[in-house]
Order: sequence, then C-alpha cells, then structure tokens
Amino acid sequence: MALETRGHEHAEVQAAPPRGKWRRRLTTGGWIRAAWVTPLAFVLATLLVIGCRAWLDYHPLNEFQVLLTAWMIIVPLGFLIGIGGFDYWFYWASGRPTRPEDHSGHGARSWKDYFRVNTDHKVIGVQYLVTTIFFFVTAGLMAMFMRAELAKPGMQFVDNNTFNGLFSVHASLMIFLFVIPAFAGLGNYVIPLMIGAPDMAFPRLNALSFWLLPIAGLIMLASFLVPEGGAFAAGWTNYVPLSVQQPPGNLFFQMAVQWAGASSIMTALNFLVTIITMRAPGMSFWRMPLLVWANFATSTLVVLATPFIAGSQFFILLDRVLHTNFFEPGGDGYALGYQHIFWFYSHPAVYIMMLPGFGIASEVIAVFARKPVFGYRLMALSLMAILVLGFSVWAHHMFVSGMSPWLRIPMMATTMLIAIPTGIKVFSWLATLWEGRIHFKTPMLFALGFVSMFVIGGLSGVYLGSIPIDIHASDTYFIVAHIHYVLFGGSLFTIFAGIYYWFPKMTGRMYNERLGKIHFWLTFVGFNVTFFPMHWLGLQGMPRRVSDYADRFGNLNFIISVASFALGASTIVFLYNMIVSWRRGPIAPGNPWRALTLEWQVSSPPPIFNFDEIPQVVGSPYEYGVRGARHAVLNGDRAEVPEREEVVSH
Amino acid sequence: MVLVGAAVGVALALVAVLIPWLPPADSAEALKIDDVYWFVTIICIAIFALVAGVSLYAVWKFRAAPDDTDDGAPIHGHTGLEVVWTAVPAALVTAITIYSGIVLNQIDTVPKDHRVVEVTGQQFAWSFHYPDSNVTSGVLALPIGQTTELKLQAKDVIHSFWVPEWRMKEDAVPGITTNVLVTPTKEGTFTVICTELCGLGHALMRAQAFVFSEADYEKWVSDEKAKAAATGSAAGKTLFTQQCGSCHTLADAGTQGEVGPDLDKVLAGKDADFVHESIVNPNAEIAPGYQPDVMPGTFGDSLTDAQLQSLVEYLVKTAGKS
Repeated sequence: MALETRGHEHAEVQAAPPRGKWRRRLTTGGWIRAAWVTPLAFVLATLLVIGCRAWLDYHPLNEFQVLLTAWMIIVPLGFLIGIGGFDYWFYWASGRPTRPEDHSGHGARSWKDYFRVNTDHKVIGVQYLVTTIFFFVTAGLMAMFMRAELAKPGMQFVDNNTFNGLFSVHASLMIFLFVIPAFAGLGNYVIPLMIGAPDMAFPRLNALSFWLLPIAGLIMLASFLVPEGGAFAAGWTNYVPLSVQQPPGNLFFQMAVQWAGASSIMTALNFLVTIITMRAPGMSFWRMPLLVWANFATSTLVVLATPFIAGSQFFILLDRVLHTNFFEPGGDGYALGYQHIFWFYSHPAVYIMMLPGFGIASEVIAVFARKPVFGYRLMALSLMAILVLGFSVWAHHMFVSGMSPWLRIPMMATTMLIAIPTGIKVFSWLATLWEGRIHFKTPMLFALGFVSMFVIGGLSGVYLGSIPIDIHASDTYFIVAHIHYVLFGGSLFTIFAGIYYWFPKMTGRMYNERLGKIHFWLTFVGFNVTFFPMHWLGLQGMPRRVSDYADRFGNLNFIISVASFALGASTIVFLYNMIVSWRRGPIAPGNPWRALTLEWQVSSPPPIFNFDEIPQVVGSPYEYGVRGARHAVLNGDRAEVPEREEVVSH
Repeated sequence: MVLVGAAVGVALALVAVLIPWLPPADSAEALKIDDVYWFVTIICIAIFALVAGVSLYAVWKFRAAPDDTDDGAPIHGHTGLEVVWTAVPAALVTAITIYSGIVLNQIDTVPKDHRVVEVTGQQFAWSFHYPDSNVTSGVLALPIGQTTELKLQAKDVIHSFWVPEWRMKEDAVPGITTNVLVTPTKEGTFTVICTELCGLGHALMRAQAFVFSEADYEKWVSDEKAKAAATGSAAGKTLFTQQCGSCHTLADAGTQGEVGPDLDKVLAGKDADFVHESIVNPNAEIAPGYQPDVMPGTFGDSLTDAQLQSLVEYLVKTAGKS
C-alpha cells in the first residue's frame, strides 16, 4: 500500500519536538482531545447559527430546529476530529509530513485498544460487532416495552407518542445500527482473511467508517430526550407529510441516517476495492468463498442505493428547516415522490440485510455438512441476479399508496421473479445437506433455523407480491410477521450463526456449546410463537403501528407478549456465553471446524498481519470429501507463487 | 422422505383450512381476492412441504456422530436438478403473476354504472360525502350489491382506508385523489380502519360503515338530510360525532375517544369564548397531562363560521351536563 510506504519515509522527519506530557495528551488524537474539541464544536455550531441569523436578520436567533441541525452535523465532526479520525488527511491536506503508519495501532493488546481509532480490520470488526450488539439489546428492550403495552387492549404503560417513538426508534436501530453494520463487522473481520489479504484496502477509511456508527446510534437514542415531543415517531419509513409536521425529534432520524449511511457507503467502497484488488494469488472470482461473493454483491447495492435514502432524508430536512416544499402538497410538493425515493433505497436495503446472511449460511452449511456447496456457480450468480432485480421492485411497497396503477404490474412481475434466484439458494442449501455428515454445532443450528424461517418469510413475501392479496394485507400485522421472518428469522439467525462460527477465530477461545444450543432453541421457539400468530392478526384486521387494538385480539396478543419476553430472555444466555467464554473459554485451535477457507488456516486469533506469508490459492474453497484437494497452500514452495506480491504487501 | 413431506403437507393443509385465517368475505372483491389467496396458499403448502420433507429427512438421515471425522459425498452440483428448481418456481410465480393480474383488473376496473362516495381522511376521523344526495356524514353507508367508487382525499397526512371484510384498501394522500371500488354483498355494520400511521391518534382512527338494503339506504339518506337541515346545537352534535368524537369523550354524543382530553371534564362550566378558542387555537391552553400540537390547528379554516358556531353552542350546552 503505497500511501503507507510514503509514511515510512517520513518517519525520520517526524521526530516530535519535546512537549509537555499534558500538552501532548491534549493535542494528540484520543478521548482526552475529543473531550475538549467536542464541546468546542458545540459552541462553534451555536455561534455559527446565531451569528448567521443575526447577520441575516432572521428571528428568533435561536431557532431550535436550525440549531439542532447544526449541532448534529458539527458536534460529531468535532468528536471525530478530537478522537483522531481525520488526523492523517489533515496532515496530508495541510502539506505537513504525514504521520508514519508504523502499525503500532494494529492488533489489540488490552481492552482499551478497542476504544481507540484503530486501523486493524480485526480490531475494527470486533468494535463493529460489540457496538452493534449493544444497539441490538437496546432496540430489543424497546420491542419488549411495546409488547408489554400490547399485552392487553387499552393503554397501560406508555402514551401514544412514546409508543410511536418506541417502534420508530426500534426499527431504525435494528436496521441501521444492528443488521447492516453487524454484517459489515463480520465482513470486516473475515473478508480480508478469506481472500488472503493483510488488511482492508483503506485501513484509515475503515477506522473512520466505524466511528461514524456510534454517532448515528447515539443521535437516534438522544431523540428521546428532546423536550418538545420526544423521539421521532413517524415510523422508520418517515413518510411525508407526517414527518414534516412532526416535532423536532424527527430531525434526529434524518441526521442519524446521514451518519449511518455515510458509514455504510465508505465501508462498502472499502470492501469492493479490497475484494477486487487484494485477493491472494490464485484467488480468482470463481474460487472466492460465497461470503465474499455475497459481500461483493451487498457492497455494490450499498454504494448504489444508500445515497437515495440520504437524499430522501435531506429533502425532508430541507422541507422542515428551509420550507422548500419538495414533498408538502400545501406548497406544490408531491407526497408520493418521497416514497419512491425512500423505497428505491429501502427495498435494496432488504437485500443489503439479507445477502451477507446468505453468504454466512453457505459457509456454515458446507463446513458442518462436510460437503461442497451444491451448485457453487449458480449460488454466486443468483446473488448477482438478486442484486440486479433488487433495484426493480421498490414500488411493491406502494401497491396501495395511490401511485400510477399501471406501475403496479411490472413491479409485481419483478417481485415474483426475484423469488426464483432466492429459491435456487434455498434448494441448493438443502442439496448441500444431502449425503453430508451433518454436525449440529450451534452455528449449524442457526444456519438451518435460518433456512427454515427464511422459507416462511419468503413464501409470505409471495403472498404480498401478489397485488390483490397485498391490497388486503399491507400495513397490517401480516407485514410485521413477514418482515420479522425475513429480518429476524433471516438476518439475525445468520448473524448469530456467524458470531458463533467465527467466535473461536476472533477471540482465540471456544464458546460454550451447551449454552449455544440452549440459546438457539429458546430463540427458535420464542421467535415462532412471537411472530407466527401475527400473520393471523393481520389478515383478521389488526393494523400495524397501533398502541391499542380491538378486544377480540387480546388473548393472542397476550400470548405473543409472553413469548416475546422469553425471546428477549434468550439474549441473556447469548451475552453470558459470549462474555464468559471470551474471558475464560477453552483455548481455541486454529481450525476447530476443520474448514478449508483461508481464515481457518492461520492461528486463532490470526497474526497481526493475518498471514506470515502470502497464501497461494490453488482450488475451490469447499472441496470437502475430495481426496487430495486443497483450497490454498500456505507453506508451499515460494517458487510456485507468481510475482503478484506487491498487490497484497504492505 | 416422501412420507415426511406428505405429513407436513397434510398438517399444513389442515392448519390452513381449519383455522379461519381470513375474516368473512362480504364484498364481491373479497371473494375474488380470496381465490388468489387460496391459489397462492396451495402452491406455498406444496413448496413448504417439499422443503420441510427434504430438510427434516436430511438432518435425521445424514446426522454424524460427534467423533465422525469423515467428509460427505463430494457432490458439486447437478445441472438437471438446478434447471428443474429454476424452471418450476419460474412457472409457478408466472402463474401467480398472471392470475393476480387478471383479478386485479376485475376488482380495479370502474364499471360504467356506479355510485360515488367522496371520502376524506383527517387526523383522526373519516368523513363521507355523498354527491348524489349532497349528504355529508361521519359514517359510510352503502346499499347492498351496488359497486361504489370511493374517491379518497386527505386533509393533513396520509391515511389509509381499509375494511377487512371487504378486503379493499387504499391510501388517502394529501394533494391527490385516489380511488378504490367496493361492491358489498352482505348487510351489516363494519369498521373502517386507518392503516397508515397518521400520528398520535392513529390507533383510534375508526369509522362505522353500514351496508343497507335499498329501502333502508333511502331511509338513511333522508334521515341524514333531516339532520343536516337542523341548526344550532343539533347540527353541532352531528358535527361533533363526525369530526371530534374519535379523539374526545363526550357523554351527550356517546363518544369515547382518548387521544385528547375528556370534554365533560375540561369544558364543564366554560363559556362560549373559551370553547371557540379551544377549537380554532388548540395550543392556547393545554389540558394537564396532554401535549401541544396533537390536535390539528386547522379547524378554524376547515369549518364554516356557521358550523363553528353550532359546534360551540352544542358544547357549551352539553359538556359536563350529563
């Protein structure tokens, strides 16, 4: 990596002048500098707004929405500058000698290293996962709050405003702060290892994209503290005109999405460049593990689609703060325009939240069935088919929205078509099990649970894809059931599968298998009892996003609430297992699952630069049961390795 | 494996048939939509039975002992099988698409001879205008067996019109007029449900829908006309039940809304000026325990002066009196 090499040359120049210990602490990137730069940014933002408004003679000077907007842009920037996320680029841009990248930041020697700006993809991967699990637990608690309210008809614990805030923030956190970045975290850890690279292509960008994430999450949570009206409460879909008419809390959604979206886009670019340029010698596209394929497809989706949701929320922001009337019908705006832009991202987002899970399922099922993935090439191609088709189905979320009636027909056709590549994947996983030797370790249980639950979510998707049925079922609890079968039964089960599967690699220790299995069965049963009855509720007439409902749905809602608490409790088993095993679990061997992919051919956890020598990839990653077949040679004859070292060296 | 699959299939079929998944079908459109529903259900049961049969059989038959270190059979694929499971689902989804398209065309084509009702959604109530008799009401009334086109509009935010027994749903969007057709086939009382999140009172935004015989419908129309002709507090009561009752409790009008304060409590003993101000400028004084900006501030514009006056008259007369 050329930039870093240049950094090394400047290492001598950078002999820092002697400075006081405190002065150095206050001025080098870290929490201490962040502790004074962040409030400074707050003051600057406030002065900027008040100064500009005084100069332009706008009153009142301290307009709350404008101040909030400025704060939510400038204060996080101040924090990022303080913690050191931009240091390298500032040095470079100002013509000063750039700090040498001596890789001292690589690896984590103590828990404190996880709280620093770190350029090691393995550290960043763990940072991502721990952060996202924090937000997963937070958003899960919100869901249980809602279920407590819904256990009986009538209002019990919260008012309507809080309830609407709870489901809006629950969905936003789960989507933007859990499912999407949890896959980015797993990918961050695993993808460079899987393709035989020492790190991601842009390690500093990688570090920066991680640090944007807690900012987005904290903004979403902070919305509950807004004095007037509390959290954003127009749903995660934030439809106009409701969102434009909401109290100031709604701004927090618009700004949080910008930060989370920027994080997502930067990581995706990083993945794309890493996968395209940093594969080990011999790792052709047709030898890549399916998770790498899945990540390639996902990252393409992220890069192309995410700007649309950023745009949609910017327009709402402008409508709210500058009264631009892009969407407000009162000022010639077009309310449905928002929905088109929003779903142009948010349908592909479903695949952003699903394709990495497909990849993880393929890895896990092949390893624990001890068989090659059935129909590897078609599996990879179906990912690409979903990527392309995923962009042509957005308006199936709008069948009853009042958009042009003819547009529904092509959207129905493409929606149905997308079932075909998805079906191919399900059938191929089943065929991978056939004549295998199946070991029911926890990752495999979650992967099989994923396949069965995802089939249900996929089939209910076929119901919803048919316009006449959708006219009846849309915006009801049937939708709530469907999206949770797809995102909980689908994405979350694969995230659990991935965490258990790579836990030994990441921590160097084994998790407790017995607790893992208890976690799986509690989750599996709790999940189905919670969400399956919602199909019935929706078809019978219970709309979604309501804090109160008809008395005749009382009994079933009570059962659902009880099951949801059991489901929530299963997370305690998971957290306990993770924390205790990380500290005291038995030491993990390099390759406890006897897997063939590259990440398992190095020690657990891997060396600081992943591979002590560059691996030479010689075959498919899934040649289980093939006598003498190898995926890669790590200690092979150096003469066999072609001259491509410069691509992967550092 | 076939046995497992068949058992799952039979079990699912029983679950599908024995549990009443759908509410009664009380419109011509509902019957057609239900046909699509059953068509898709049959296909889905077959597919799920196949998947469940294969996977349950496979995890039982091919389970390995913990100490088994052998690998499975090195099967990389099977072109014939892959063609089949691409082609068969393709055929099935094509069939669903075509059938859905045909049914959509049937339930969506406005017949030449049809009635029209103009439906307006606002936070958090529905109102229905009947252009052929020039009646406006807070309830939807339809004669049985006739196709009615509901033209939907929204005053503030997006709402969505849904009657589960009729299966038909469509959003009411500010700035445009959307439409949905209904041909009721059963007399009775139904509930119009708002299914698009529209704010704090969303869960309570309901209206009654009546399906009458032709004669009863004519009677209903003349009753409504008589109500509309009434002035003073009688007209105020009609207005109140249409536009205010979904959020406010008032014993005289028999409404039990809970989004806003109970008017029997907060308006008891208040004078006409206070009531008037509370309607046109709801934020002027917020009842304890409630938040500002919940009640739309648009009633001063949307109600005529005469309507406003009758409403005030009615509230002063009845609030807290029963």
